[in-house]
Amino acid sequence: MLLLNLTLAEPQHFSLVEKLILIALVAASAAGFWLRFSTVLDKILHSKKDAGFRLFPIGKRIWDFFWEVACQAKVIRQRPLPGLAHALVFWGFCAFVLVTLNHFATGLGIGFLDPAGWFGRFYFDLAAVFALACAAGILGLFVRRFLVRPKWLGEKLSYQSGVIAFLIFVLMVTYLASFFVADADPVARILWWVHTLALLSFLPIIPHTKHLHLVLSPATVFLSRGGFSRIPPLMGDEDFGLVAGTDLTQLVSLQAYSCVECGRCTEHCPASNTGKLLNPKEIILGLRSYLNDLGPTATEPLLGKYNSQEAAFQCTTCGACEFQCPVGIEHLPILVGLRRGAVNTGAWENDYGAKLFLTLERGSNSLGLPASDRDKFIERAGLPIFNGTQEYCLWLGCMGGYDPKGREIVANLARVMNYLGASYGVLRKEKCTGDPVRRLGNDLLFQQLAEENLKTLAENKVKRIITICPHCVRTIQEDWKEYGTPPPVEHHSEFLARFADNLPSRVVGNSSEGGGGGNPRVKPAEAEVALAPEATSSIAANAPALNLASIASGHDFSRADKATNTSGPLGPADRVPQVRGPHGQVFVRGVEVPLLGPGREKIVFHDPCYLGRYRDVYDEPRRVVALAGELVEAPRNHERSFCCGAGGGLAFLGEETGERVSYVRAAELVATGAKTVATACPFCNSMFRDALAESGDAAPQLLDIAQLIARGLPKNGTS
Amino acid sequence: MKIIVAIKQVPERDAQVRIDAAGKWIEEAGLQWALNESDAYALEEALQLKEKHGGEVVVISAGPERVGSTIREALAKGADRAIQVDCADLGSHDALGVAKLLAAAIKPENPDLVLTGLQSDDLGLGQTGVILAELLGLPHASLILHVEKTEAGLTVKRELEEGWFQTIELPTPAVLTIQSGGNKLRYATLMGIKKAKTKEVRIIAASELAVENTPVVALERVALPTKQKSTQMLPGTPKEAAAALVEKLKFEARVL
Repeated sequence: MLLLNLTLAEPQHFSLVEKLILIALVAASAAGFWLRFSTVLDKILHSKKDAGFRLFPIGKRIWDFFWEVACQAKVIRQRPLPGLAHALVFWGFCAFVLVTLNHFATGLGIGFLDPAGWFGRFYFDLAAVFALACAAGILGLFVRRFLVRPKWLGEKLSYQSGVIAFLIFVLMVTYLASFFVADADPVARILWWVHTLALLSFLPIIPHTKHLHLVLSPATVFLSRGGFSRIPPLMGDEDFGLVAGTDLTQLVSLQAYSCVECGRCTEHCPASNTGKLLNPKEIILGLRSYLNDLGPTATEPLLGKYNSQEAAFQCTTCGACEFQCPVGIEHLPILVGLRRGAVNTGAWENDYGAKLFLTLERGSNSLGLPASDRDKFIERAGLPIFNGTQEYCLWLGCMGGYDPKGREIVANLARVMNYLGASYGVLRKEKCTGDPVRRLGNDLLFQQLAEENLKTLAENKVKRIITICPHCVRTIQEDWKEYGTPPPVEHHSEFLARFADNLPSRVVGNSSEGGGGGNPRVKPAEAEVALAPEATSSIAANAPALNLASIASGHDFSRADKATNTSGPLGPADRVPQVRGPHGQVFVRGVEVPLLGPGREKIVFHDPCYLGRYRDVYDEPRRVVALAGELVEAPRNHERSFCCGAGGGLAFLGEETGERVSYVRAAELVATGAKTVATACPFCNSMFRDALAESGDAAPQLLDIAQLIARGLPKNGTS
Repeated sequence: MKIIVAIKQVPERDAQVRIDAAGKWIEEAGLQWALNESDAYALEEALQLKEKHGGEVVVISAGPERVGSTIREALAKGADRAIQVDCADLGSHDALGVAKLLAAAIKPENPDLVLTGLQSDDLGLGQTGVILAELLGLPHASLILHVEKTEAGLTVKRELEEGWFQTIELPTPAVLTIQSGGNKLRYATLMGIKKAKTKEVRIIAASELAVENTPVVALERVALPTKQKSTQMLPGTPKEAAAALVEKLKFEARVL
């Protein structure tokens, strides 16, 4: 509060010599900045135009700009302490715009803010608060970079960062010190000049260091591709992805120059964390070096001297890098772009990769099994065939149709859908959605698969798809758009969460459960019916009416008519009555739903990348898990979830070098002490199946969320 | 070296094949088609020979208009040009008839080497390549896994039964039928497909070739294979069961 009574001291008069020196210095500094900056700008502007880039809808851009740039929300949220320190520096800079303009104006005798006037006093005092915060922030960042030295910042110390930090500190200190001297004091003049020199030295350092993000990243954030991991369409007959400099688009170049080298991408990268060659930060910096050395018109391959092909194909496309990036770099279009360049031209030679491609060129599924295996499974599991009248098309996917564990998940989901009376059917013929080949960059194959599948869906008049595989969900919903209009798709976690109130819960509300075996089991007829208005059970408290007939039939094909009208969740008439016993048992139509023993089963949920970061679905699977037991979280969860290692086609690429991603994640899940690991993706499930087998008998059981629900269904009930 | 690869379009591996109403052929509507597997290996062998020794790879295929897609796939993988023998009723030709068409189209090309898959995935006769060699009057070898060019001609690795191989030397020109699995196949690329658009596909009508189609093999009936499955449970301790299993594999199934 002391500051509020103080006034900023400014030298009152500048001699002509001083003014000339000032003008010369400003000109030199600006020229130094512009010379270097214009080269960068030139490279960005001379890069290829981004095909399909749309500025509109602009609302999301404005919001992202406000939230991520102005509020620094992502920076703070994902790395709270350094993030806050950075935000203080950033906000300090913002507050200083007006101060700085007035500072130079004063030097030229045309100062427009009077430190003694009410607004000047208010603003300078306010800026002083920001300056204090900024000085503290930069000091903190200095300590972090040069003393704490987190490994994400790289082995090499950036001395430029030290110089910049020093200059910022000097700027703030000289400003603050000016409150403690009088205008006429020669010290005020010295402070003024030191401030000026610090500022003018700062400016030319910006363009050739990572501090360029100061200038570029607000634009980078604003000019995003408009969606997570949005892979741009290829344009014309000469576009095969990112092959050479001529393929770098303006957005890619802008992003390459925006990198602030904070290493958040590397910190969260499953490849970098398990001893692989890939380091997402180095991929971006590799592109920047390419642009610096060769420019955007060079025809030298991008993969080679500046970036390695091996690294590009180690990416699981989990998207942790893109999610974390505070300056708006979109790593996935770049990584997938580099892969497209290598695969579309045949430059990538990999036995496993070629095998996957050939399998999908000739067959229908990525596992390379005959389609008749799928038919047999459908028959054995008694899955109804989709005939155009059902509400849902249950998309099996490669894992659901051919993998033994995936089939179990599908069969369990089908049981739950039967129980809910949902109307669904499976297609007679399905091809891989093309997810693995899309992420590996094989556009030819992806287009074939997408087009054939879109045709099948149209022929079968599919209105709505449900699937157990988040990779299928993403690929159908987003990636197929390039070749047609896919019907809406949802993941089974979303479906199950929507009907959570109708699903049996294994969570025992009161603790009388398990107290000796004295009490005979109460027959359902005598039990309290949870449908009563005063029902204590939240499960079925909202179920006003019964529709036993439709439940008993397993699946109600007649609903297809209704579905076209309501198109939303199942109506109230579909709710299933549940009856509560005095010991917390749940009865459904006279059959006791199995419950756990005393206490609640601890279940840890693993967020699949393609459900979480790609689709923003975090709460739905957790709601489902919470029905089955006590949800516990792994240290890395939600947006920060750590990949299982299967994405990006890597499930098909054979042995990994270094540590296995799946083992690292499985160990983390086991360490939570949970009895059960819940997954919501058949690929995660498959990866953890192997990883958990390593832990032997002590390993927690591994179940999909559909299995968690299905095991609570009455044993001899529907299906 | 000028290499001609004779390829065939067959129903895709996962195709749900149905017999047509006449019981003489399969229902072609709605089927998806692919390159015959061993022909893909023949093409790969040809492309590798070309990459090593230079020359030209020409693919040839007989069949209706739809075989164009398979020809384009071969061009996309690296063949230089193609000849399509347009023949709407390929099903009415026996192996001799098809070989006659191919021979008539291949002869004017004067190739150094003719490769083809050892048999087709649909009919599996394994004769077309061999008859083709006879019609062209060229030496041939079947079941070839690897081809090496020598000063004198060719050295080829031929698969025999029970894991034995035979190495044969042949003069060129020659006809070889290629066994699957000798090479690693390359995958089709977008760039390859785009380049294929500009490559030459010469279409010759079957009638132009003035070949007589007088089948020597009459097709009686086409039928799906009957499903048969027999499961035997081998009782006893794991040791006894394993011994019984080995016995059966040796003497009943004769696979050991």
